[in-house]
Amino acid sequence: MKKVLVILLLAVVGFYISETFFDIGFGNSHFVNNEVIKPVKDTYLQQTVQELKVANTVTSIVVNFRGFDTLGEVTVLFLSVTALGSILYKRRHHVGDRSVLFSASSIVTAGSKLLFPAIVLLGTYVFIHGHLSPGGGFQGGVIIATGFLLMLLAYENYSVSHTNLAIVESLAGVTFAGVGLLGFVYGEQGTFLENFLPSGVLNDLFSGGVIPIIYIAVGFKVAAELTGVIYTVLNEKGEQNG
Amino acid sequence: MDSTYFQYLDYAIYGSAVLVILIGLYAALVKKSLLKIVLGLSIMEAGVNLLFVALGYLKGGTAPIFSDGYDPSQVMVDPVPQALVLTAIVIGFGVTAVALSLVIRLWRHHHTLYIDEIKNLKW
Amino acid sequence: MVGTPVLFIAIPLLAAFLIPLFGMVWKESVRIVPGLVLTYLLILAVNLLNYVTVNGPIVETIAGWAPPFGINLVFNAFSGFLVTLMVFMGLMVWLYSYRFKSNVEYEPARKYFLLLMMLVTGSVGIVLTGDIFNMFVFIEIVGISGYALTAFYTGRDSAEASFKYLMMGSIASVLLLLAIMIIYSQLGTLNMADIASKMHLMDPKYKIASFILFVVALGIEAEIFPLNGWAPDAYSEAPGPVGAAFSGIVVKGAVYALIRFTYTIFDLSGSFHLILIIGLITLVVAEVAAIRQEKLKRMLAFSSIGQMGLVLVAFGIGTKEGVFAALFIMLNHAIIKPLLFFTGSYLVYHSKKKKISDLDGIGKLAPFTSVLFALGAFAIVGLPPFAGFWGKLSFLVAAANSDMILIIALILVVSVIEIVYYMRVVNRIFFFKRSSSLLARRPTPNAYIVMTVLGLAILLIGFYPDSVFGYLHNAANSLFDKSQYIHSVLTATIQ
Repeated sequence: MKKVLVILLLAVVGFYISETFFDIGFGNSHFVNNEVIKPVKDTYLQQTVQELKVANTVTSIVVNFRGFDTLGEVTVLFLSVTALGSILYKRRHHVGDRSVLFSASSIVTAGSKLLFPAIVLLGTYVFIHGHLSPGGGFQGGVIIATGFLLMLLAYENYSVSHTNLAIVESLAGVTFAGVGLLGFVYGEQGTFLENFLPSGVLNDLFSGGVIPIIYIAVGFKVAAELTGVIYTVLNEKGEQNG
Repeated sequence: MDSTYFQYLDYAIYGSAVLVILIGLYAALVKKSLLKIVLGLSIMEAGVNLLFVALGYLKGGTAPIFSDGYDPSQVMVDPVPQALVLTAIVIGFGVTAVALSLVIRLWRHHHTLYIDEIKNLKW
Repeated sequence: MVGTPVLFIAIPLLAAFLIPLFGMVWKESVRIVPGLVLTYLLILAVNLLNYVTVNGPIVETIAGWAPPFGINLVFNAFSGFLVTLMVFMGLMVWLYSYRFKSNVEYEPARKYFLLLMMLVTGSVGIVLTGDIFNMFVFIEIVGISGYALTAFYTGRDSAEASFKYLMMGSIASVLLLLAIMIIYSQLGTLNMADIASKMHLMDPKYKIASFILFVVALGIEAEIFPLNGWAPDAYSEAPGPVGAAFSGIVVKGAVYALIRFTYTIFDLSGSFHLILIIGLITLVVAEVAAIRQEKLKRMLAFSSIGQMGLVLVAFGIGTKEGVFAALFIMLNHAIIKPLLFFTGSYLVYHSKKKKISDLDGIGKLAPFTSVLFALGAFAIVGLPPFAGFWGKLSFLVAAANSDMILIIALILVVSVIEIVYYMRVVNRIFFFKRSSSLLARRPTPNAYIVMTVLGLAILLIGFYPDSVFGYLHNAANSLFDKSQYIHSVLTATIQ
């Protein structure tokens, strides 16, 4: 009975939403009149070449135009790691207690030792070049965390120091907020999160002012946090496992 | 021929994204195992992100990156939904992590994952 | 000027990132640093509020891009008033929870204070921001802090209550994203003032669709009926001070968002009536449910939901007096309900099931706490000369001015219901015989200070309401003046 009601409700909601979106249309410029509406994306596409000298528009939006959102998002990640630690808190914490169902085969152990440096290198490349090619801090950080996950799955006694992760996380966060506050002092207009370093030349590695710096900090932070999350959950020792 | 195919594409892309959202919502509301409920929430968020990115597409558009030797006459797709979805994906990940930790805690306490047996509070 | 509005967000974030580092050096700092941050924010808020009362709204641009290309924060009389209220209550909650339970160790304590600080920061962010996607991000910040704080105690059913909260919160986020999508696809911008100025260009069917999605999404957070299933469980399973924070801070932020969308951004003709009806249904259902509750905190939670319904009815009337009354009721609720949660927590401290029947005769054992609880109960039902009386009176005046006689009758009936269930508790506390095994917990000195301050605030507003009339009138005027909001944001130069 409950299933029927839910399906009915979902059918109504789904019909209404899809009706709205089909009317919007796929692939056309939806704005009725570009002159009257003046969508913000035109300005973003224009200014990212002229003022910021950053090739990847998405990066310039994420870090500069809507940098406040990114600060909030980094906070959400930080809070979810804190929440994880708070919810799973146990009075007695043995280090090295891991619930392992069966050990990894030799292919996995040999292969992950080879792959781990390559993955970390790829992740670092992605977040350093965030302003030149698709990618950025979040994507690069996730790739690095995948490398750590591979090592943690392959080797039972591989451990990452929780204190080190916490220090990296906190320092990266302080860098982000600190660079934002420096915008007050050094920026020509004196606002938070302003781009106060010189912009350089388009498509150079050192272009874009503070944008690469912020994105590198974000990359470190995301890598440390995701590794911390995986590590916390993996250390859940079940009562029935030996 | 181009326009009719594009019409089908219209329905297909938006329709499948909405279908993913509905599947996730159905799983979150109806299923009895906690893990399936969390999976349903995660699928629902994935569907919303897909819908959002699909909204930014422009016909014949290319990626909004100004690498060396780009064609100035080429139309670029809307970069704003991509930036917003980046934020939304990370936030969805954070919420899923918290949800899974709650599932672990409930399992520790009750040793079962079925909400029928856990229902201490009135659902 | 002591600072700018962005410091409301930047300083707590900086402190949140630094707390793990400080904690490695000096353990007590994790309890103290949030308190210092909240004190500074209170000073900043009062300072800025006095500034905008004289000089007009402050619009702060971020990253050096003028709106609508950049994100902006708006601190005008209305948002400033709410921000001051939230920060003040946040400081009270911090002071109260300092050493609330003596057996909480360093690790959980560090996380608790951090999450509490971020709960307040997120709510302040919801009120200050001028951009709809930014508001979504802050709602998520408040959400995650709320989920973690609800599940703080390990013993009871807190994980289940937190899971329910999480599920409803996730659905709310999805609906909010769908609504933002529809608006962006039509108007190409995410800035509130820009959307408000271009709203007449949008097709009505898209307006209705996104408005409904917004109301449902924000309604889940603001606990309107029938979307408030998660709220009573979350309030009763969370620690006492956290319940106070939810009812005094978080709900205000969600109601602010709902009202900002209805009054400033959307220009639909039926939106006020919709808010009125939603508020009315919420009020009636919550108050009727409150009578049947046996646990103290659940009763307080339902009463809180009912009060928010009353606030929505007042906003839905649509006149300036209605807004004034709604703000007055919000102010009263933000001060009185936490006082009830604070005193109630100490009264049921030693009872296992936290039932009202365990409170028989506790008035003789804990006279100070019980008297303050009674003060809060009298104030919230609207007895003169306490604070709640003036709020309800201004509401009745506003309703009478709009010829809504039916609503006045309904409110009076609901007030009678409120009196019944509150006086029942007060009766039990003072006039019933107590059982011999009754224990009362002696509050810590800082808890005494907090409860006294709130009690004095209630008496001050009750005997001398003119002290807050000025701020409330300014706030009501600034909400009502839609064109001034749009103008002040879109012509903001970068200072």
